[in-house]
Amino acid sequence: MNTSTRSKWWLYAILTIAVLAVAAPFVWMLLGSLKTTAELRQTPPTWWPEDPTLDNYAELFSKANFGAYFMNSTIVAVVVTAGNLLFCSMLGYALAMLEFPGKRALFALVMGTLLIPGVVTFVPLFVLVANVGLVDTLPGLILPFLVAPFGVFLMRQYIKGLPPDLLDAGRVDGAGELRIFARIILPLCGPALATLGILTFLASWNNFLWPLVVAQTEDTYTLPVALALFSKGQNATNYGLLLAGATVVVMPILLVFLAFQRRFIEGIATTGIK
Amino acid sequence: MRRTSTITVAGLAAAALTLSACGRDAAETPAGETGEAVATGAATGTITVWAMGAEGEKLPELAKEFESANPGAKVQVTAIPWDAAHDKFTTAITANKTPDVAMVGTTWMGEFAELGALDPTPGQIDKSVFFEGAQKTTEVDGTSYGIPWYVETRLVYYRTDLAEKAGITSPPTDWEGLKSMAKAMQEKADATWGIGLQAGGVGSWQSVMPFAWSAGADLTKDDGKAYNFDSPEVLKATQYYQSFFTEGISDKAAPATPTTEPDFVSGKVPMFISGPWMMSAVEKAGGEGFKDKYDVMQIPADQQSSSFVGGSNLVVFKNTKNRDSSWKFVQWLADPKVQVKWYGLSTDLPSVKSAWQDPALTADTKLAVFGKQLETAQAPPSFPTWEQVVTSFDTEMEKVTKTGADPAAALKTVQSQADSIGTGG
Repeated sequence: MNTSTRSKWWLYAILTIAVLAVAAPFVWMLLGSLKTTAELRQTPPTWWPEDPTLDNYAELFSKANFGAYFMNSTIVAVVVTAGNLLFCSMLGYALAMLEFPGKRALFALVMGTLLIPGVVTFVPLFVLVANVGLVDTLPGLILPFLVAPFGVFLMRQYIKGLPPDLLDAGRVDGAGELRIFARIILPLCGPALATLGILTFLASWNNFLWPLVVAQTEDTYTLPVALALFSKGQNATNYGLLLAGATVVVMPILLVFLAFQRRFIEGIATTGIK
Repeated sequence: MRRTSTITVAGLAAAALTLSACGRDAAETPAGETGEAVATGAATGTITVWAMGAEGEKLPELAKEFESANPGAKVQVTAIPWDAAHDKFTTAITANKTPDVAMVGTTWMGEFAELGALDPTPGQIDKSVFFEGAQKTTEVDGTSYGIPWYVETRLVYYRTDLAEKAGITSPPTDWEGLKSMAKAMQEKADATWGIGLQAGGVGSWQSVMPFAWSAGADLTKDDGKAYNFDSPEVLKATQYYQSFFTEGISDKAAPATPTTEPDFVSGKVPMFISGPWMMSAVEKAGGEGFKDKYDVMQIPADQQSSSFVGGSNLVVFKNTKNRDSSWKFVQWLADPKVQVKWYGLSTDLPSVKSAWQDPALTADTKLAVFGKQLETAQAPPSFPTWEQVVTSFDTEMEKVTKTGADPAAALKTVQSQADSIGTGG
């Protein structure tokens, strides 16, 4: 970069303000989880905990089955993410590179489902899952979300931007469609896959209403459901516990994001622009 | 369904049945329907139960005693978060995936009954043992569905030490007295606001209606077939409620989630109206010895002293595979001794009147005031559209308290909205 030092200085100042605005609620959550309920409700509110305590965390982990809820959340999020990465990229590849009858109609169908809000299909979907007998099972939490129209769209746009010559070269060398997909397309899709992966993981990890409705016993509860159960009463909310729980729920997402950070940014920057 | 089949063991019947307080004669409901009688005998099979929040966490402990009294029965409790619990129930009802027994918010009864999801209460359960206002919450169109499990009501909390400073030694019993007490708190006891009242918004009807009921309001008309918001009684209560804001006794700009506890402890707002859960909350915020610095009093009377009765009901769903045992479990939970035990476990107040005679409850003078208020406390009509209609009431109250809108016009708006929405019955 050859911008002058002065404009760079301005850039950093603006970025710092933006970072503070984004980070402040998280920092407050983290610090708040170390406060007592009395301090949390104090006016004026305190920023730094006056009397840091780990009681909220102790209470959280003393709740029965917290490990099981964590496990459920992890299984659901990982399988849903893996499914989306595989199926969305397969469908995206077909829609971007292959010619077959009904391709346009199929793509229109995928785009059409993008336009329908989830709440509309919520009850019918539940009735369907109930009739198949998947209520109160982990597959009931996973199957309906294994492939999402947005993922298909994202992958198609990215794959469309890859040079078709690569495919021709593969075909000349005698590779079948599966091999082309697995050996040529997928390795080139790194940034898009990282984007799709993190978005799907996030959505699945934070999902509240569907797991709440599908789970009929506590054995299949996920973290957000358990967190709502423990911290919110009919008339009062245990804010300390809520903040501690939120911190624990957010941590894995932060780790996933940090792991994929570079590819994630690359993915957002390149998808759909070409 | 791989559920243990229900075998009614008729022989062992009476011996194992430890239910004590079940009158044989069904209370007479005018037009309502009474559920089919429940077979006598011990409960058997699995009973699935949904309960919200802390109740769901603590119920398994109590249910163990039921299981040991009924060796053939197994109670399986699932704790459900309050957030979106309503959505979970309606989805489950649509898909026929309801449990056998569930704890249900009192204001949801009309809706669920209208969906045909609930089983009418069998005649074996004596409805007269419950507080009248609480029992009414289970009744939709004259039919009782389930029982009130626990109750709560709203009282006026006040700081005794500051009241003394303000020259008030005995709590007021009428509306004028309440207002002058709040004023005195401001003038002589350094309070920023005399009394903390909710300035409109979600749930503010729960603060206004106690006054309306105290003025003798009936929220239904035409034989309970229509809403009745623009009656002179509701108007009187709304005007009275508004006067606290126009006279600067209550904070117009009170936040939606008020900082009630700290403000009460610091003396900034030394009075407020709320339910029994606030006792432990203010004592926690106030620290040691705060217990003796505050007290509660009944809603001051106009025609009478009345308040809002809330809490939760227990229902049995119609498509249960284990109906008799489910009702036996519900009936067992309404036993006065079990109710007292449950109070000890959860601090939920008993819905059964006779349970209040127990020393565990009479020992606490503040609790006794709640018990007294519960005798006259009332519940909103159990129309399925109540939640929808009351939203417009809450919005109008916000205008009344914050911008000084005319109460009569506001209530007229509520009434016309209520008329166009209808009772849904």
